[in-house]
Amino acid sequence: MQIQEKTLTAQIRFQDFNFYYGGFHALKNIQLDIYQGLVTAFIGPSGCGKSTLLRTINRMYSLYPGQRAEGHLFIDGQDALAKDVDLNDLRKRVGMVFQKPTPFPMSIYDNIAYGVRLHERLARGEMDARVEWALKKAALWDEVKDKLKQEGTSLSGGQQQRLCIARGIAVRPRVLLLDEPTSALDPISTLRIEELVSELRGEFTIVIVTHNMQQAARVSDYTAYMYLGELVEYNKTDTIFVKPAKKETEDYITGRFG
Amino acid sequence: MKPISFSWLAWRRRCVNYTATGLSLLAMAFGLFWLLWILWTTFSLGVSGLSLALFTEMTPPPGTEGGLANAIVGSLLMVGLAILIGTPVGIFSGIYLAEFAQRGWLGEVIRFMNDVLLSAPSIIIGLFVYTVYVAYRGHFSGWAGVLALSLIVIPVVVRTTENMLRLVPSSLREAAFALGAPRWHMIMYVTLRASLAGVMTGILLAVARITGETAPLLFTALSNQYWSTDLDKPMASLPVVIFKYAMSPFEDWNKLAWAGVFLIVMAVLALNIAARTFFGRKMV
Repeated sequence: MQIQEKTLTAQIRFQDFNFYYGGFHALKNIQLDIYQGLVTAFIGPSGCGKSTLLRTINRMYSLYPGQRAEGHLFIDGQDALAKDVDLNDLRKRVGMVFQKPTPFPMSIYDNIAYGVRLHERLARGEMDARVEWALKKAALWDEVKDKLKQEGTSLSGGQQQRLCIARGIAVRPRVLLLDEPTSALDPISTLRIEELVSELRGEFTIVIVTHNMQQAARVSDYTAYMYLGELVEYNKTDTIFVKPAKKETEDYITGRFG
Repeated sequence: MKPISFSWLAWRRRCVNYTATGLSLLAMAFGLFWLLWILWTTFSLGVSGLSLALFTEMTPPPGTEGGLANAIVGSLLMVGLAILIGTPVGIFSGIYLAEFAQRGWLGEVIRFMNDVLLSAPSIIIGLFVYTVYVAYRGHFSGWAGVLALSLIVIPVVVRTTENMLRLVPSSLREAAFALGAPRWHMIMYVTLRASLAGVMTGILLAVARITGETAPLLFTALSNQYWSTDLDKPMASLPVVIFKYAMSPFEDWNKLAWAGVFLIVMAVLALNIAARTFFGRKMV
């Protein structure tokens, strides 16, 4: 499972990581390095813990009493589980896009500016430039440049999801977490999001949870296969899909199971 | 040929369907009948009392000409101030209940007490303010009326604010947190904004409710025959003037009372229509 490539740096590192929903042991002894600038996919059947694992990276679970993590999670070498971690600062560095588009009840412009205003004080012109940059990165600029004052909720589902990606990017995070970002979208919108992921590759470290194996194969560099809260196999996507080391992985990928 | 039992079953179902539809239509007509009758009576008896003098002259002694100017201004002042005081308290309490105390015993206790306050007869609130404020100060006053009305506003606004905030999907909260928003910022700019239409509707409903309240004002602001904007003195209000004038044997007083009733019904109707047209569309 060890990957021998000198140029890769592990930006996110799980070590002896366990996670509990109250008394339920949801993630068991996870060891995982996620590499900087690459796209990593988490796949596995429903309830295997892939979304849970993703949501620990920005400590989303801290909102809910009764959910807790044990072990180690390092982001850029810092212990993200430490008591004194500033969660708002952590979430500035680790952005997230959800399964269903979640535009805020405000204009397209303000949707993007909202996150930026939380962390930076920009002059009007700088903010305009930032909004344009983020919308261009998310491949949405051409569609909305003439209606930035319109409500974000007036866009189509696929556009809303790209708006959410733009909103995440605008804060200039180092990591972008995508939690089944296309499962509520039509095939054409899905394709656009996938193209977008490929374009953002390199600039951001991207972790994507997907129930769609073809999607994982298309967009990711590395793939982690999870089952029942355990990390079964983690390797280069090509290796996972062509020559998986474990029988369970092969069964899942070939559709014999799951 | 169709089996006989089949068509019989269909026939019976059709009968039940028609009966049920007919009964519910009847029930609707029954309720609407009284409502329309009330509106019609108010209109036919009230509209004849409408005149410019109604808005410019004071409440008269029996047998002389006059209007309701002091009562209208008194009502506007007291209702306005009660909303001004009650709304922020209600909104902040609603935010606390919906965003900070969804679970836990403290939230449950507050929610229960608020429900009790919400359904408490308004005369109790009038008597309460009479005991703690009017009796203590030794005289009736506009402020006492404001206090009593705002005590009625608060539970209404708390309830609607909490309910509307709870309708906001938690995914929206998570999305704001995921950007690194502190909780208060998320509430002010995301959840409160998403439920603004509902919260505003709640405030308008509270206005409609207290505009017609008589009992709490009877024990607090009492009334005033003369023009007064001094909140430390007894103050006239439409409901109390209606109460007094409608029960009197003088015909011109009765006529003024009906004009007052008409004004209140129209104001409440206008508020409800405004609430529906401005905020109804946006509500999810």
